[in-house]
Amino acid sequence: MAIRELKVCLLGDTGVGKSSIVCRFVQDHFDHNISPTIGASFLTKTVPSGNELHKFLIWDTAGQERFHSLAPMYYRGSAAAVIVYDITKLDSFQTLKRWVKELKEHGPEDIVVAIAGNKNDLGDIREVPMKEAKEFAESIAAIFIETSARNAVNVEELFQKISKQIPPLENHEDEISESFKLSRQPAVSTRRCC
Amino acid sequence: MATEELPSEFDVVILGTGLAESVAAAAFSRVGQKVLHLDRRSYYAANWASFTFNALLTWIQQQQEEPQPQEVQDWSSLLEEGEELIYLSQSNSASIRNVQVFCFTSEEDEEEAPDTTEEEDSADPQVETEEEAEEASHKEGEEPEPPQPLPPPAQNQSEPEPPQTLPPPSQSQSEPEPPQTLLPPAQSQSEPEPPQTLPPPAQSEPEPPQTLPPPAQNQSEPESPQTLPPPAQNQSEPPQTLPPPAQSKKKISYAHLVREGRRFNIDLVSKLMFSRGSLVDLLIKSNVSRYAEFKNVTRILTYRQGRVEQVPCSRSDVFASRQLSVVEKRKLMRFLTSCAEETEEQRAYNGRPYLEFLSDQKLGDNLQHFLLHSIAMVTEATPTEQGLAATRHFLRCLGRYGNTPFLFPVYGLGEIPQCFCRMCAVFGGIYCLRHSVSCLLLDTHSNRCKAVIDSRGQRISCSHVVLEEGFVGAERKRSSTPPRFLSRAVLITDGSILPTDSEQQVSLVTVPPAAGGPAVKMVELSPSTMTCSAGTYLVHLTCPSVGSAHQDLSPLVTSMFRTPESPDHDGPSVLWCLFFNMADGSGVEAEGHDLPENVHLSSGPDAELGHEHAVRQAESIFQKILPEEEFCPPAPNPEDIIYDGDTGDTEGDTVNTGDTGDTDGDTGDTVNTGDTVNTGDTDGDTGDTVNTGDTMNTDGDKTSPGEEEERQAVSEE
Repeated sequence: MAIRELKVCLLGDTGVGKSSIVCRFVQDHFDHNISPTIGASFLTKTVPSGNELHKFLIWDTAGQERFHSLAPMYYRGSAAAVIVYDITKLDSFQTLKRWVKELKEHGPEDIVVAIAGNKNDLGDIREVPMKEAKEFAESIAAIFIETSARNAVNVEELFQKISKQIPPLENHEDEISESFKLSRQPAVSTRRCC
Repeated sequence: MATEELPSEFDVVILGTGLAESVAAAAFSRVGQKVLHLDRRSYYAANWASFTFNALLTWIQQQQEEPQPQEVQDWSSLLEEGEELIYLSQSNSASIRNVQVFCFTSEEDEEEAPDTTEEEDSADPQVETEEEAEEASHKEGEEPEPPQPLPPPAQNQSEPEPPQTLPPPSQSQSEPEPPQTLLPPAQSQSEPEPPQTLPPPAQSEPEPPQTLPPPAQNQSEPESPQTLPPPAQNQSEPPQTLPPPAQSKKKISYAHLVREGRRFNIDLVSKLMFSRGSLVDLLIKSNVSRYAEFKNVTRILTYRQGRVEQVPCSRSDVFASRQLSVVEKRKLMRFLTSCAEETEEQRAYNGRPYLEFLSDQKLGDNLQHFLLHSIAMVTEATPTEQGLAATRHFLRCLGRYGNTPFLFPVYGLGEIPQCFCRMCAVFGGIYCLRHSVSCLLLDTHSNRCKAVIDSRGQRISCSHVVLEEGFVGAERKRSSTPPRFLSRAVLITDGSILPTDSEQQVSLVTVPPAAGGPAVKMVELSPSTMTCSAGTYLVHLTCPSVGSAHQDLSPLVTSMFRTPESPDHDGPSVLWCLFFNMADGSGVEAEGHDLPENVHLSSGPDAELGHEHAVRQAESIFQKILPEEEFCPPAPNPEDIIYDGDTGDTEGDTVNTGDTGDTDGDTGDTVNTGDTVNTGDTDGDTGDTVNTGDTMNTDGDKTSPGEEEERQAVSEE
């Protein structure tokens, strides 16, 4: 099966649980005190999708959202974006629109957008009605799902939904873009043949 | 997105997000220093930034505005005993001057606009600013007052050149000529174009740029020659709408550029990355390379005797070349081979011009030109040893990634500083744009800067400060006098200067000095680099300044492209162009400024083609502050980070980093090499946030035997 690398960028206010969602998805692990910064450029996880394997390269904001200073390069080449808010914080939902706008400005045009209302394990202190969020997501043609990174609710599903919406690979695409990453491999590969 | 207050204690505060500052930020953060990285601008990368077309128009407007009178806020109330303030300069403008913009294409589309609804929705905010920009410039155009920011007026007199600043606003007033009025009505009906995309001037004068061209023509031949490369179209106006095949050749309008503005990533600097230069090495070594993708520069061209020619530089080029005779091919190959090692014969020329050495090799004019101007890229006066060193560097860089020694980052050079900033952030660096530092707080006893005071009056303590030199007033700086500048031109054209079957060429064009002027380096980017929209090319010209950028570069533009001044040129047409001068970062000395010893100056881009200057600067600042630490050790691979869930400790000690640091993910995510290293508390502020173990070889080309075995073992599994 062919492996396709898909860059996914996370957006949303500080503290809504962006990193926790990734952490749950990639490592199936939840840490109450996850540090905002963990030295990870991005995390990866591969899931089957149809007759392809989707290898998600999940980019976290690395805290650059905190003072509204995300760099345009963060969005480059993203196949999907997950915008996260906290269902217990109305503020974090209200800023969603700004993130959507920011994404429209800087993100690729054909990007798949998903909105995740995180912390749905804290339903008793909910401030954002699910209906409202759902309607908003529909209005921008985004995937919508409520998640709980802590209880592992809907995290897998979130990424499955994204996987399904990723358009199938068009063959001629890669011919056009012959851009490449720099790495050490040339030297390694020559040594391997001997 | 609530606005928080910044933390108030850091190890290093860095102002400016240019390349040198960003590399330094990543380096400090990577070894565990707490970094605060600020920029007063609203965008990353300072004078290394790249902009969408619309954002560039905004930038231009900002440069053309009168610098706002600085209100220096008095923070002396924050002083404690034994402290003094050093106020920093708050204006951006000193490093950019002589900004001039010309639009040589029609304001609006000449036929039905393509469907662009999506674009408009999303581009909204930018379009607005754009409109403002244009309104502003429009006003400028109307008022003939002398204090106008920049040259257009002056120039106007001295040169026969049309003065259209941004979108030709002046024209509408000065020349309501009949010829165009014939066209527009037809168009405006056929264009169901949503008004938002079109800047105000467009409505007032829907005429194509023919207004500008050299007076003579203007009357006699309405417009065809200068605006439309395929002359057919323009005269036979109506048919335009019919022939679909001709569509691609349709003249691209200013409105189209604005609409497609997002597809442009226009760099303020123009450089290339030597594939074995220090920037590429650093990107690989630090693993920052994984944030960006690159393209090969596909060919090297040179301009001489009024023609653009391809320079054969690799072995295969040499053999494939049709311009070289068999004898020349042999000579060139022999010369390039002999260059590889220093010989007695070469040494005899030390101190004498490289040109002399070349001409004694009896290579002939062709080869001599290529070797001097396009391969060594030096001047006729450059000493032989330097010329040979440059030639060797060129040859060493060949073939690492492609047929030329150069790489170019997809989306433009402005990505590179952002990549380093991200690395800094990933290791805990704090980022805040639109935020500045008003003053440094000097401890008068130790003569060290112990804190900075930000633009909101917050006192932030730090052990070291790195300042982009623009923050420091001239009186405290030691720099070359008079200050040196670069001349820059940015052109959007409608074709390649040397078309081939492939429309995706990325070319370096070397232009030898003409008439006592400096050599010009030109880079032509195709849409494949994601820096310009389909059907256009982005051309960057750079040279050390002699006069204003326009004086230095416009003659060359006129001789290489079709412009209103060269309407009969059969080369590509310039649709839009920008000229400006930028301070040359190599003019700032590394030492000797009147600043506390723990305040370190960095400078902007220099005139060289590569990035050596900025990387060297960042490394030397780093080593001055942390002489014992490694500069940008590799960041761990994503695959190797293991969340350790079993500790039961809630203190966030969850990161283990592995130690392969190699192969950049190509071994797949099933690989986990055995000996991971626990890195301790991630929330600690000490140097051990992440440790990548010890097997990573920084050289990149060599791997230690142990590691190699291990990887083979893994791949065999």
